[in-house]
Amino acid sequence: MKKKYENNLDMETCSNGMLEVKNLTKRFGTNVVLDNISLTIEKGKTTVVIGPSGCGKTVLIKHLIALLRPNSGEVYFKNRRIDNLNENELNRIRTHYGFLFQGGALFDSLNVTENIIFPIRQHCKITNWREVEELVKAKLAMVGLDGFQQFYPANLSGGQRKRVALARAIALNPEIILYDEPTTGLDPIRADVINELILKLQKELGVTTVVVTHDMTSAYKIADRIIMLHNGKIIASGDADHIRNHPHPVVQQFIKGQVSEDDLAVLRMSGTISQAQFLPRDFE
Amino acid sequence: MIGIVGAKTISGVSNMGQFARFVWQSMIASLRSCASSRTYPLIWTQMNIIGVRSVPVVMITGAFVGMTLAVQAYDQLAGMGLEEHLGILINISVVKELGPVLAAVMLAGRVGGALTAELGTMNVTEQIDAIRSMGTDPIRYLVVPRFLACLLLTPVLIIYADLMGIIGGHFVSVIQLGINSRAYWNFSANGVELWDISIGVIKGFFFGAAIAVISCYKGFTCKEGAQGVGRACTEAFVASLISILALNFALAVIFKAIYNTFWQLKSLV
Ligand SMILES: Nc1ncnc2c1ncn2[C@@H]1O[C@H](COP(=O)(O)OP(=O)(O)O)[C@@H](O)[C@H]1O
Ligand SMILES: [Mg+2]
Repeated sequence: MKKKYENNLDMETCSNGMLEVKNLTKRFGTNVVLDNISLTIEKGKTTVVIGPSGCGKTVLIKHLIALLRPNSGEVYFKNRRIDNLNENELNRIRTHYGFLFQGGALFDSLNVTENIIFPIRQHCKITNWREVEELVKAKLAMVGLDGFQQFYPANLSGGQRKRVALARAIALNPEIILYDEPTTGLDPIRADVINELILKLQKELGVTTVVVTHDMTSAYKIADRIIMLHNGKIIASGDADHIRNHPHPVVQQFIKGQVSEDDLAVLRMSGTISQAQFLPRDFE
Repeated sequence: MIGIVGAKTISGVSNMGQFARFVWQSMIASLRSCASSRTYPLIWTQMNIIGVRSVPVVMITGAFVGMTLAVQAYDQLAGMGLEEHLGILINISVVKELGPVLAAVMLAGRVGGALTAELGTMNVTEQIDAIRSMGTDPIRYLVVPRFLACLLLTPVLIIYADLMGIIGGHFVSVIQLGINSRAYWNFSANGVELWDISIGVIKGFFFGAAIAVISCYKGFTCKEGAQGVGRACTEAFVASLISILALNFALAVIFKAIYNTFWQLKSLV
């Protein structure tokens, strides 16, 4: 019954590489954000990309769905090159994706129900509204928000928005879901619910998953493979144990949440806090 | 120094190219959408927001223009004993120039600002990316309904402005300044041709299209942050205003040429 609203665009299925990035470089002006990166995202697996804020995680994940185009390098979806396609061709391919944006990116002018059925309406003609209502209810129940159908995004908390956005991302039952910091800004319990949900989607539906995060608890819990980005390069790649025992000092600092010696030195050098503060007499 | 000028020139040219591409895509998408009933509800919503709610502003603008013209022009004409020609002067000015231009300027402020702010906010909160990520063309979903609503409704709003300008001018001339009503209308009817009114209305299509395209483009290319949105709105307003005035001049030249060749021939026949 629900099959009707699912993807029916057939594409040749193929080897294990669901997504492949080859020698990708991205610059904004002179700022090189991604520097010659290559990686393969395996079908049915969960790949987690970690790295400090501003290291280019969002930029990387947006290249996987061709929302951004590389300066050089290639991106393949199921062995088909997508980084050079035009938007019309991409629109068909993108229906196979779900994308959870960092801030949710819900449409302010639409309520929760309308937000969730947006992708359905764009790609199918809705004939049976009762069925769609049930679908919305089911998707909302999955993220623990059944009953919020008529709310507008402005009246939801940040975490609730993110969960509605997740419900919207899985509305078309995508084969691949990209999550941009799904647990950031959620309380630990909610964060764990999202982790469980990501695992459930991957286990039950065989969804290929890419998660970008700096939440190591979440990364260890859901990852089949963890990739660490630093200065535009991949400096570590492997399963959770491999990362835990990785010899690279930057990886160790990041996963343990330690400040580097250089940063500490700056703090020590700048003297006492009061010296760095403005005092009322400075303004007289 | 030369480097800076060079870089500015390059970025200016590439921005122009980007804008031209945006306009082209919007036109194509608009033509396509006319055939698909799915966009009709969206267009309808935008028509309400853009058109219906602008009616009071535009009518007030028109009325004041007409009334002010009457007050200002009366002394000069009365000095020459031509006060009964006041009607033709007011009505021609309102219908041909002031009604369309000032209505468009008000719309650039009221509608253009709102469009840029809305789309700019959607851009910086990744809502436009979200539309793309779900396999929908944001130009088709966001720009086309707004573009078509502006294109179709600006001429209508100009007619409102014209009407109110004519009524305002008549009100001041006849009731305030005591000009004979019949003479006022007779001179007006002889002086104002259908051609003059059509010019004003045709201008409306161009002004509406310019306002919509510029405002949407500025929203789509808006920089991050609340400051970015504010800046985009200001830039959109200034750009709309200048293009309205420039278009008005260009159209005046073109229409004059057309008038001289065709309309006079027709009246000879
Ligand atoms: N549209 C853009 N224009 C210019 N610079 C950008 C743009 N998007 C991202 N950047 C830059 O790319 C870098 C990485 O950003 P991002 O991928 O958002 O980091 P994060 O890892 O926190 O998600 C930042 O230095 C940011 O300034
Ligand atoms: Mg990010």
